[in-house]
Amino acid sequence: MPRMRIGFASLAAAALLALAGCGSSSSSSSSAAGGGATSSAAGGGTSTSGGGSASASISSCGPKAGVKATGSPINIGTIDTHQPGTDFTDGPNMINAYFQCVNANGGVDGHPLKLFVQLDQTQPAQVAAAAKKLIQSDHVVAIDGVFDLLECTIDQGYWKQLGIFEMDAGIAPECWSTPNSAAVNMGPRYSSDGAVQYALNTVKAKKIVFVQSNVPGTGYIAAGPAALAKAANVPIKEMTENVPINDANSVALNLVNSAGPDGSVILNFTPPEALVILQAAQKLGLEDRVKSWGCSTPCNTDFLAKALGPKWNHKLFVNAELASVDDHSGPEWDQYKGILSKYGSNVAGGIGSFSQMGFVLGKFLVQALQNVHGGYTMKSVNNAIVGIKNYKTQMLCTPWTYGHLALHIPNNTDYTTTPENGKMVTAQGCTAISSADPQIAQYHQAAKAAGVE
Amino acid sequence: MHPLIHLALSLPSWQDEQPFLVTGLALGGVYALSGVGMIVLFRTTGVLNLSFGAVGAFGALIAWQLINKSGMNQWLAYLICVLFGGVITLAYGMVFGPALARRDALVKTTATLGLTLILLGVMDLLWTSNGGMSRSISLPTDNHGFILGQIQVTTTDVIALAVGVVITVVTTLFLRYSKLGTAMRAMANDREITATLGVPVRRVEAAAWFGCGIVAGLSGILLADLVALDATTLTFLVISSLAAALIARLSSIWVTFLAAIIIGVVDAAITPITSLTNYRDMTPFVLAAVALLFLNRRRTLSLARQEF
Repeated sequence: MPRMRIGFASLAAAALLALAGCGSSSSSSSSAAGGGATSSAAGGGTSTSGGGSASASISSCGPKAGVKATGSPINIGTIDTHQPGTDFTDGPNMINAYFQCVNANGGVDGHPLKLFVQLDQTQPAQVAAAAKKLIQSDHVVAIDGVFDLLECTIDQGYWKQLGIFEMDAGIAPECWSTPNSAAVNMGPRYSSDGAVQYALNTVKAKKIVFVQSNVPGTGYIAAGPAALAKAANVPIKEMTENVPINDANSVALNLVNSAGPDGSVILNFTPPEALVILQAAQKLGLEDRVKSWGCSTPCNTDFLAKALGPKWNHKLFVNAELASVDDHSGPEWDQYKGILSKYGSNVAGGIGSFSQMGFVLGKFLVQALQNVHGGYTMKSVNNAIVGIKNYKTQMLCTPWTYGHLALHIPNNTDYTTTPENGKMVTAQGCTAISSADPQIAQYHQAAKAAGVE
Repeated sequence: MHPLIHLALSLPSWQDEQPFLVTGLALGGVYALSGVGMIVLFRTTGVLNLSFGAVGAFGALIAWQLINKSGMNQWLAYLICVLFGGVITLAYGMVFGPALARRDALVKTTATLGLTLILLGVMDLLWTSNGGMSRSISLPTDNHGFILGQIQVTTTDVIALAVGVVITVVTTLFLRYSKLGTAMRAMANDREITATLGVPVRRVEAAAWFGCGIVAGLSGILLADLVALDATTLTFLVISSLAAALIARLSSIWVTFLAAIIIGVVDAAITPITSLTNYRDMTPFVLAAVALLFLNRRRTLSLARQEF
């Protein structure tokens, strides 16, 4: 019996480990263009924005209020990560909500917009196949709203070959460092820059501890904060943690010990992992043992502020790539909330960064399409996209520009937020990311040379 | 610089290490809780329940849902979590247990991976992680505690360790002195002979499945508070407990308990050592591998009932 147990147990352990590495499936979906303006759109009165002005704000997404677009659809494609623990589908779902609004209010010159969504599980071959399917089978003319871990890395060559200029909210370095991609978000490197910059310039930290997930590409991300700390002559310790974090208490303790009482700890994690570390710090009574805590933009969610509670009010400073919904109002904000309420029932996270980015990506694309003359071909549509210059939205600090550049970092000025009684509020208004990060400096140089800045 | 010199230079002082030992004890206590629950079921039914973590995660997410979305009293929600663990595990045992009773132990255990995958899939569907959604459970006992080794030790930490000890002691006494426990031990040796002696094997197995599920639910709540309320994390945290059970050669409850504590403490103690910190997730595997190699140095390699 004991021999049987040991041999069997060893095999069982191996089986469990094998299970942990199992893959998952891919899927795709498309949202009907005309259908987008059917039942839910026509329902009316379901908007929680209420009032006539709110309805007017929503309907202003299209050129003809209340007139359904009936022309031939303009096919748009997107590729998004959807896997256990990493689900970015709120982004494309919000773009689709925006498209439904446009389709219900005249469309683009009478043409409805149809979004084809390809979902992936971080498998390079799958991402490459998704791009080809969108082009060859779905006949999309533009790529808009890519929320993906790998897509920018995998598909850049293909887009360049086809003359496609994608708009995305990316993660991979190529989203900001290549000619055929421009993002509405800053991404982990520049957002981490922003969090470190706040700790250096505003908190006056004497040491920075920068910690992030132990995944490929961390060196690229850490290079930004390291450059900023070096320019400020402040020591920085770069650390990585395996995720998911199983021993957050030890991690929090180690970070605090490494930073010291005059230092700042800057986290670059997804909200669940950041929350685990911050809650562990709170349980151990460590939140006051460093000068400040900082976080890149994923922490900018009310979920996190609510889960942390008032002990973290004005102790945690989060770089925010987009303006805080709680601190702003006006027609564009009413439109965003109205569209989310009326058409965005499948945007699980509701109001937040993902839906804001989806809204901005949908809005900019529609604006660009309105500048297309003649047919909506791949060439004409992408010429309009790359020609985007100084498009304004209250959700970004500065106007957004694409342009024929070797690299694109159009979102390079941002906010800092902090928890306040369960909500994230603005701690610092729009502040430009320092050109001490050589990538930022290179972008400004290129943009000035091309006359787009 | 030689790696060993580098390692020596990066070792923290004893004073710096103390707080990590404290955090490791709490984590080890919950690993022990899970490990003991798995061992009891294995000794009774021959099934190594790999769905242990998923059952606990599911229960914890139900508790979160009831507290945050339905406004239920949190203690009642935690009770439901624990009962869910018992009921779902009992249901699995009653439906699939008889059908698999005569099958090889490896088949029985692999079948529990099916339950794991089903529960994981349903959790992913019901509690999606998109839009930056993050969830957490904070037990009221988190708000009380004392300072030890420069850090705050919460009552939850103490409870985690204490529950591990209590479950281990109670289970040992139960198996040794109670009628049901004796029946369980008999079944562990030979189910058929035990049945011919008039022991109601189905009822004994049901009790074991239910007990294992209750412990899974309890572990789920404690780990959701101490580690994270995340389906994948909690499901695969069972690996550390499994390693402890392997070190105990799937038989000794007390060795499982001690091994789990050692895994938790070693894992935490490595954290401040810069050159090793990113490898500390290997702790359960390394300790289990070393223990198995040492314990089996004069044994024959066997696969289930077939010797080679």
